[in-house]
Amino acid sequence: MTAQAAVQAAINGLLTGGLYALVGMGLALIFGVMRIVNFAHGAFMMLGMYITFVAVGATGVSPYLMFPVAGLVMFVFGALVYYGLLSRLPAGADFMQILLTIGLSLICTDAVQLVFGADYHLLNTGLASTNLALGYGLSVNAPWVVSFAIAAAISVGLYLFVLRTMTGRAARAIAQTPAAAPLMGINVHRVQAISFAVGTAAAGVAGALLLPVFYLYPTVGDQFTEKAFVMVVLGGMGSIVGAATAGLVLGVVESLTSLYWGNQWALVVDFVLFVLVLSFKPGGIFGTERA
Amino acid sequence: MGRSFGRGSAVYLLAGLGLAATLTFAACGGGQRGAAAGDAATFKIGVITSLTGPAAAFGQAHENGYAIALGEINARGGVKGKPIELVYYDDQSRPDQAVQGVNKLIDRDGVPIVLGAYSSENTRAIVPAVTQKQVPLLMPTATADNVMDSNSPWVFRLCAGSSAYASATLDFLKTTSLPRRMAIVYENTNFGQSQADAMAQAAGPAGFEIVANEAYQASAPDYKALLQRVKAASPDIVYFASYLLDASTLMRQSAQVGLEPQAFASAGTGFAAAEFPTADKGAGAYAEYTFSVSQWLPTARWRGSAEFDAAFFKLTGTHPAYHAMQAYAALLTAAAAIDKAPDATPAAIRDAMKTIDLPDTPFGPISFDARGQNRHPVLITQVLGGQYKIVHPPDAAETQAVLPTPPWSARKGL
Repeated sequence: MTAQAAVQAAINGLLTGGLYALVGMGLALIFGVMRIVNFAHGAFMMLGMYITFVAVGATGVSPYLMFPVAGLVMFVFGALVYYGLLSRLPAGADFMQILLTIGLSLICTDAVQLVFGADYHLLNTGLASTNLALGYGLSVNAPWVVSFAIAAAISVGLYLFVLRTMTGRAARAIAQTPAAAPLMGINVHRVQAISFAVGTAAAGVAGALLLPVFYLYPTVGDQFTEKAFVMVVLGGMGSIVGAATAGLVLGVVESLTSLYWGNQWALVVDFVLFVLVLSFKPGGIFGTERA
Repeated sequence: MGRSFGRGSAVYLLAGLGLAATLTFAACGGGQRGAAAGDAATFKIGVITSLTGPAAAFGQAHENGYAIALGEINARGGVKGKPIELVYYDDQSRPDQAVQGVNKLIDRDGVPIVLGAYSSENTRAIVPAVTQKQVPLLMPTATADNVMDSNSPWVFRLCAGSSAYASATLDFLKTTSLPRRMAIVYENTNFGQSQADAMAQAAGPAGFEIVANEAYQASAPDYKALLQRVKAASPDIVYFASYLLDASTLMRQSAQVGLEPQAFASAGTGFAAAEFPTADKGAGAYAEYTFSVSQWLPTARWRGSAEFDAAFFKLTGTHPAYHAMQAYAALLTAAAAIDKAPDATPAAIRDAMKTIDLPDTPFGPISFDARGQNRHPVLITQVLGGQYKIVHPPDAAETQAVLPTPPWSARKGL
């Protein structure tokens, strides 16, 4: 395999990884602040795709301008799920949380199937055939680049939200010492609700950005739930910077694995990494610090 | 405790609701349709197909195909002087229900021949039952080769099997002057693996060299690295075994990585779907020039194809896929065997089926080999101008194949 082919595969992997990163960050935020293992994350992403699909169909506006709609609707949806369902669970009921999110995921998927049918849909942006030459025989596909750029900007915004805002600081405080946070005057319910809603919105936006380069059907999110868990574990449980980095790494590793060993090994490598990190470095491969 | 227990139950209830919603699709409908006890004035033929459940769309196609054949046969006097009555059993897309159908149709309705089922899985399930009850079974649509593994003397298959896809593709490629380095790209499932194995085994003896044999995980967004890997093996022909969504992604991304073999060929399925050449639900212009296998198309040159297409359109407002034609042809074949048999016993009909020879049907010539397999010629199609055109075999071809495939940079409309 030529060096040029490897660089090309790494670039394409990085573009995919940018979308993975956004999905992973959302899940990491939810897990970090609330210790909720959210099995509905992929379903939330799927909802973001359908919202964008409907919004684009109704207005004819480019999906790249419609991602805020998906983000906003999913933010409200996340807040409703938190106040309506999650906050009602007794503290420490981990198993119930898992069952609840699995149930929620099934309900989302089946509801979409009832409304939209099991059939798939495509959204053509017109950009799909545009390839940008980078020199040295390298090129990138335009819709992937646009999606990557938006995902990167939102990821940075998410990072600044957690690092700089009062809500973000409160969220980190809850993540570090759940028992002490309320003693410091933090409204735990409110901060958790915001964190869950922001994490849900991130999944929705990631879905909106994936739509122009993929297709949608009711169970499309399932594979991303799995990948998001891999990212959260690789990045160190609950670290959103770690999850973002893990997303990029995962994209590149998958692409290079496909190139050198064959595509059927890509998922195997993902989950071998997952199991190895869980077993030998449970704090994640990118340090133990939480951002 | 009581408080948290109550909430816990609510969670289980919620999870249960989701599960229930999933199961509803499988559970609705069922049972048989058609008259349970007809008068002796009709000739009963049993039909098992999937009128409900995930395969219901194909069961519907079966029903329409059978209905058209039934109308034609009864209009010319039926069989053995009686009009045919079809006794349906809906297998709900489930193999266990298909087996129930055999018992019901043979024991209660006393049919001397059964047509069905739709899927390979359900069809395979009923082979032991018809064999035990010694009633002939004619399979219209089950393409998996293992449905014929039992070597039961009571089963006949009208459609071509999946191993015929590879050999038909090779037969066609041999008639061209293309160089013979081939890459196989298949999804890592039972379907993809069996198609890839069939091609890998048949290619060598046919004079083709396999330079890459690549499995992939279905339904992923990015296959560019996989296609780069295929490109590095510099194949002259790329043979895909894929479902529809991946077929579209693979063709679009082949253009992105500059994979430019002299021909893109395929084991049908995604590459043979009506949506594949369309821009809104498939690969659009990226589908152009791809080759596929097909069992039948409305444009096939076999006499009656166009008439069947017209009759189907009149009945449903849509154009038929090959599943409907196979049901239609199955009933024609069954009627011919019944008429040829000296009496209406299952054994007599089975023996007549073995010797049947229908050289001129809308589904091409029909006759069965010693294993009960119809010698159905697999068609090779090419997407030309956004339409599937039959390019092989010569007796069915409507146009010449366009070869070699033009490079991506020379194509219009991308």
